[in-house]
Amino acid sequence: MTERKRFPWWPWALFAWMAVVIWAAFFYAPAAKGFKGESARIVFFHVPQAWVAVLAFCVNLVASLRYLRRRDLVDDARAAAAARLGLVFSILATVTGSLFAKVMWGSFWNWDPREVSIAILLLVYAAYFALREAIPDDERRASLSSSYAVLAFVTMPFLVFVVPRIYWSLHPDTLINSRGSIDMESRMFQVLMGALAGFTGLFFWLYTLDVRLAKVGLRRRQREES
Amino acid sequence: MRASSLLSESLAVLGKELTSELRSRVALNAVGLFALTTLIAVAYQIGPYKIEEADRPHLLSALLWIILFFGATSGLARVFVKEEDARTAKTLRLAARPLAVFFGKLGFNLILLLGLESLVVPLYCALMSYTVEGVAGLVLVMACGAVAMAASSTMVAAIIARASGSGTLFAILTVPLALPLLVVLIQGTKAAATSAALAAVIPALRAIVSLAGVTLVAAVYLFPVVWHD
Amino acid sequence: MICFAAVTRVRVSFEKVGKRFDTRTVLAQLSGAVEPGRVLVVAGPNGSGKSTLLNILAGVIRPSRGEVRYRQNEEDIPRARWFAHLGVAAPDMAVYDELTAVENLMFFARLRGLEARPDSIGALLEELGLGAREHGRHVGTYSSGMKQRVKLAQAVIHEPAVLLLDEPSSNLDTAGHDAVARLVDRFRSRAAVAVATNDPREMAWSDARIELAL
Repeated sequence: MTERKRFPWWPWALFAWMAVVIWAAFFYAPAAKGFKGESARIVFFHVPQAWVAVLAFCVNLVASLRYLRRRDLVDDARAAAAARLGLVFSILATVTGSLFAKVMWGSFWNWDPREVSIAILLLVYAAYFALREAIPDDERRASLSSSYAVLAFVTMPFLVFVVPRIYWSLHPDTLINSRGSIDMESRMFQVLMGALAGFTGLFFWLYTLDVRLAKVGLRRRQREES
Repeated sequence: MRASSLLSESLAVLGKELTSELRSRVALNAVGLFALTTLIAVAYQIGPYKIEEADRPHLLSALLWIILFFGATSGLARVFVKEEDARTAKTLRLAARPLAVFFGKLGFNLILLLGLESLVVPLYCALMSYTVEGVAGLVLVMACGAVAMAASSTMVAAIIARASGSGTLFAILTVPLALPLLVVLIQGTKAAATSAALAAVIPALRAIVSLAGVTLVAAVYLFPVVWHD
Repeated sequence: MICFAAVTRVRVSFEKVGKRFDTRTVLAQLSGAVEPGRVLVVAGPNGSGKSTLLNILAGVIRPSRGEVRYRQNEEDIPRARWFAHLGVAAPDMAVYDELTAVENLMFFARLRGLEARPDSIGALLEELGLGAREHGRHVGTYSSGMKQRVKLAQAVIHEPAVLLLDEPSSNLDTAGHDAVARLVDRFRSRAAVAVATNDPREMAWSDARIELAL
């Protein structure tokens, strides 16, 4: 029952890493050419946030599928934790994206296909929690929300991959552009990679915290019953 | 043996849906009146000549799908919600295998959607003087669109029927799933309106059919879980 | 009476079954079995979890802990096949208001893959005390006692090996109660029967008993 208390060193390492990334984003990387002023620096935060929002969606899918197979409420807690973080990070990505859009293109929202996809990802997460809140029974809440997550996941690829390719897009090329090569100044690239690693670490730190909290709750309930 | 009895059981569920709908007409009235109201509001306020010639194909197809989607949303959730409300859900759950229930209800929603389309589309074309070059293409887009929309909304209906406050939840849960579909449906309808060649609607049709296929496969896997838990 | 198929004997056992809704524990650590050829009575005050236990046994609610097993000839029946052996009547169930009694039963028979004829369904309804005059009316126009009879007919139309009845005589008059008693007697010999009730007349049917406390 009792977990061995270890010195949690890696959240501190993560803290230091993120501090370095934030410093590097402003002082180490050069201002990108072809963008207004210093505006492109937002890429070091915006891209990792969008990446984490999508990563959270995938973690949520895996946990949901596992719940449907094993029927362990811990998997449901994992799915919910991933979705909670996904919601936060997709909001952050939307906000940073529209700040950039305001500076570059003069308006916060342009109905760009990528803006639409992140908005829908947001809606999916919101719907997921609206559904969870409407079901009082733990087991039923777990299986219905897992099912919805899987259903949403199978329709999302159309939005992320098909729709943006049908339409002309304002959005700068993604990291790996349409020619299949990486086209970025090397210091910027280093910082971006560092930021991606940092944000991924941040996600997993928050995620494990949330899951551990849920596990404690589940265990306490089990003890109360027996 | 198994397949044929699945078919017969699905038809039994569909038959039951049709009989009880014809006797109560709740979904029929809701969908029909809702769609007609939206249609009249749109036609009266916008009419045939308020939109620039160049924008017509795109805007008119978007408006058409908004009308259809609103009408559909008002009635499609009922197939499962009414079973929970009338407390027949448990009786049905104990008697039928899940896939028979799913296909029966899917069939009913599909009929409802096709009925809605064949009521609204001709009226819309007349009221908005919307000329459609490729009628065959439009029919294909409408038919495949109905299948895709019925598949995803039947699944969502099954999910929300088991939660409280199901009326509002249906809209919240359907919209993110239906948006990609609506986007390609609007594209397909626009293509059919502007070109008589069937080839014009093929790209949209391909997306609609694969979306419908993916949703159906996921539904066959997920529905038994949703139905029994 | 539809048909007397070869008698299948199914034993339903449950071990340390518990159920929680949010933070409220409805059922804690309950074990027991519904044996073929015997009537298990589940008694207890309102809110003690009688219906929840029956729902868990029927497989329509997943227990928070513990497990339920259906065994036939020492072999486990997979969860997906439970319903084929199971007949249930409970207050949280209903039959379709827009259909007639006969249409309802024809529908449920067809779902279970039975060849039911209207006259055999009529006989079953008569056995439960629903006269032929009423068979062609929509169930929506019935009194609650008449609906209860149709519900009971729905539970036994396929001659189930496991019969779960939750307050089977609710809304029924004395004649109706007697009809239920005859039905339970008919099934006692070949099915595993569980009855959730607080009615002393029904408690008297018991071969075994579980008392639930609040």
